[in-house]
Amino acid sequence: MVNLNTIKPKNNRNYYLALGLEGSANKLGVGILKHPILPSHESGDNSHHCQAEILSNIRDTYITPPGEGFLPRDTARHHRNWCVRLIKRALEEAGINDPRNDIDVICFTKGPGMGAPLHSVVIAARTCSLMWGVDLVGVNHCVGHIEMGREITQAINPVVLYVSGGNTQVIAYSENRYRIFGETLDIAIGNCLDRFARTLKIPNAPSPGYNIEQLANKCKNKDQLVELPYTVKGMDLSMSGILAYIDSLAKDLFKGNKKNKILFDQKTGEQKVTVEDLCYSLQENLFAMLVEITERAMAHVNASQVLIVGGVGCNVRLQEMMGQMCKDRANGQVHATDERFCIDNGVMIAQAGLLQYRMGDVVKDLKETVVTQKFRTDEVYVSWRE
Amino acid sequence: MRTLDYTLEIRIPFPEERMATIAQQVLSPDPILKPEDFQVEYLKPATQHNNVLLVKFQSIDERVLRVGVSSVLDSIKTILETMDEL
Repeated sequence: MVNLNTIKPKNNRNYYLALGLEGSANKLGVGILKHPILPSHESGDNSHHCQAEILSNIRDTYITPPGEGFLPRDTARHHRNWCVRLIKRALEEAGINDPRNDIDVICFTKGPGMGAPLHSVVIAARTCSLMWGVDLVGVNHCVGHIEMGREITQAINPVVLYVSGGNTQVIAYSENRYRIFGETLDIAIGNCLDRFARTLKIPNAPSPGYNIEQLANKCKNKDQLVELPYTVKGMDLSMSGILAYIDSLAKDLFKGNKKNKILFDQKTGEQKVTVEDLCYSLQENLFAMLVEITERAMAHVNASQVLIVGGVGCNVRLQEMMGQMCKDRANGQVHATDERFCIDNGVMIAQAGLLQYRMGDVVKDLKETVVTQKFRTDEVYVSWRE
Repeated sequence: MRTLDYTLEIRIPFPEERMATIAQQVLSPDPILKPEDFQVEYLKPATQHNNVLLVKFQSIDERVLRVGVSSVLDSIKTILETMDEL
């Protein structure tokens, strides 16, 4: 039995308010979240049923020109430029005039992620905490995604597929830890898609993955997949090989290398494969690999539900393929959130951070707020679940 | 082993002592990546109003010094903006 009401909100309020700050990659997110005190939280296992109310959820994305990725120094500069503005706007939107008394806890992303951008945000978090006399809580970015997904979808103990630009993990909950059952051996799937988008020089707005999805939808040759390496390794998968290969196909296509048998008809020299075909085949191939390792994890823990979190979770085709597997396998369901919560945001950090705070986890010395690029999902002790 | 011969001191006045103390506390926790190349200290010297933050840099050469100072000043800018606006 878990009691989520041990720590009381400030000023005899009957609700908690948390400020969440997220900046581990190129998205800077500020969110303000409210949890009412519920009798159902005195005991039981109800951390996915917080009746959370989102008072504000603001994000600004650092978007680079087509063909370029985002580098740590520029991303950190973007976050520094926008951080205070976004916090101010979020407080105004939530109607908070007295943060000192209105906010219970400031939650920030401790890791994993890019060092300099994470650091830009933590400087602001520490300053607000000391200025207002409000407690701080450091949150694991992956756990933030998971807790937001659980709260929004109300999924009961699903296998979680966490897929983003920086992470690709298959996670299942067991004995107070989010355990990693399978993951990428090299790059994340979002990174694979983003880098292919750079090769194609398509725009990065609103996000490179979205634009690849749109191109894939336009494919007119859906029954003729371009054969790509399929690299599932047991519970894990690898994607650097598939990226290298499809990059070389794209380069040959742009150069008009007629010797490439896959791209050009060897007799007529006619182009057989388009950019849309490549995008479609890449997605089908990568997503099939994800479905396989997710299914393997489901078999291990006897689960029938899948929750997809992380930026790549916005992809409708991935949701479709996963949903089909869940239905075929165990008459189960796939759960996903929309782009407000799939894509990195401040509210998810507030959600996980508030659960941590309510269980008594709080920063006692600022040395605990040093950010870290590496932070494994299973390092977090999940005290708010049975 | 090169010694930290290149130094710089920056004094930043704050409107009140409390803010200078907060700035010192916000900057101090982060470790330096290469302590043999660069060191920084955040001090609060005794002055008339105790509202000054003294930052002392030491480095093995000018380039490392410039990079380090630039990075600390960026953090200080964020602290100042937060104090100003929020």
